[in-house]
Amino acid sequence: MVIARNENEQILIEPSINSVRISIKIKQADEIEQILVHKFTRFLTQRAEHFFILRRVPIQGYDISFLITNFHTEKMLKHKLVDFIIEFMEDVDREISEMKLFLNARARFVAEAYLTPFD
Amino acid sequence: MLQLQSDNLLIKKTLTELIESPTSVDRIVSDFDYTTYHLSTPENKTKLLLSIGTKSWKDLDKYDVVGKLNAIYGQFQTDTVEPGYNYSIYLDLEEIATKSQDEQFEIIESLSLLKRNALAAPFESALEQYEKLNAEYQETGIEPSSNNSSIIEINYRDEESIYIKSSFDRVTVIFSTIFKDETDKIFGKVFLQEFVDARKRAVQNAPQVLYSHKEPPLEIRDLIKFSPNEQKGYVTFVLFPRHLVPQKKYNTISHIQLFRNYFHYHIKCSKAYMHSRMRFRVNQYLKVLNRAKPENEETVERKTATGRRFLER
Repeated sequence: MVIARNENEQILIEPSINSVRISIKIKQADEIEQILVHKFTRFLTQRAEHFFILRRVPIQGYDISFLITNFHTEKMLKHKLVDFIIEFMEDVDREISEMKLFLNARARFVAEAYLTPFD
Repeated sequence: MLQLQSDNLLIKKTLTELIESPTSVDRIVSDFDYTTYHLSTPENKTKLLLSIGTKSWKDLDKYDVVGKLNAIYGQFQTDTVEPGYNYSIYLDLEEIATKSQDEQFEIIESLSLLKRNALAAPFESALEQYEKLNAEYQETGIEPSSNNSSIIEINYRDEESIYIKSSFDRVTVIFSTIFKDETDKIFGKVFLQEFVDARKRAVQNAPQVLYSHKEPPLEIRDLIKFSPNEQKGYVTFVLFPRHLVPQKKYNTISHIQLFRNYFHYHIKCSKAYMHSRMRFRVNQYLKVLNRAKPENEETVERKTATGRRFLER
């Protein structure tokens, strides 16, 4: 099952007998966002063992994959897991664009600070 | 720390301490662009030998760097240069200690600017050339062609160089710079875009900044064996007469020298910030995920208002 806002923002949900795989494609409008998304997802996947449901390698064409197996649903509350996925989705776009804005603001500030003493 | 200083703090501190209480030292101090200083006391405690070694010395030497440094540090001049280094000065600490506080301070200050002064030599010679061409233009009214003014090349790091070209109405300074990884390159692009824009927006009097990726700018195209290099970028600063008047010359030179360091330093800072920010965010996600674990069973026994217990039936 694919839920998509557009080509660049998609979620793929694949249910099976004992697990559900959820893969997310995060919006990447330009190369700055690409780099940020890449860094961010790498950051997450490196810590996959703490994030029990996170896969180390996303499936092809997506940026990040979660796999929720029956073991997970036995140990954890199902609706909270859903909460987590939803919160993640809501947050990640915001976080990326905030970081991008910050980078731009910082670059501007730095550039002006460098050029001002020439006066 | 927003701006980088062109003096070397460690040199400054060491000298201040040594003048107060001379001891024998053998210290190597490093600075930007693979510059190293060596402070040693070869004979006795009060005679200090300060040597500087830099990668770009071969290029600096073409522009009379020794003469220029001698002009500044003439009183401490020594004929022998320490092997492995490019320029040495020999200080008598006892003599300096007898001087007044202000004089001492001045000496220390000027010694800590050793690298700046060395690297300033080619810049100064470019500025002289500009002044000559400019005077010619004022006299004759004809624009002297800038083609016969040579391009100064300073290879100050392994693969990165500064090029300076002077003409009658401007001095162009070009930096070639390498981005070690993809992230640096993209961050660098964002930063450079802002450098280019800053002039339009806020600081109109600043030098013009141009940026080209991969392809070297026209001025230096014949100088470089053109090989498309993904990692390389060229930043051009155009210094206008406004920046080259005698009272601003010193400041302009010290400031533009540090461009590459400043630029890369801030890229690293942004990366570090992003990193800590992502770390924080990841921790937050972890907390949300941990909420999904069922909470511990209620351990407190539930009682009715009057204190009776519930019984299982």
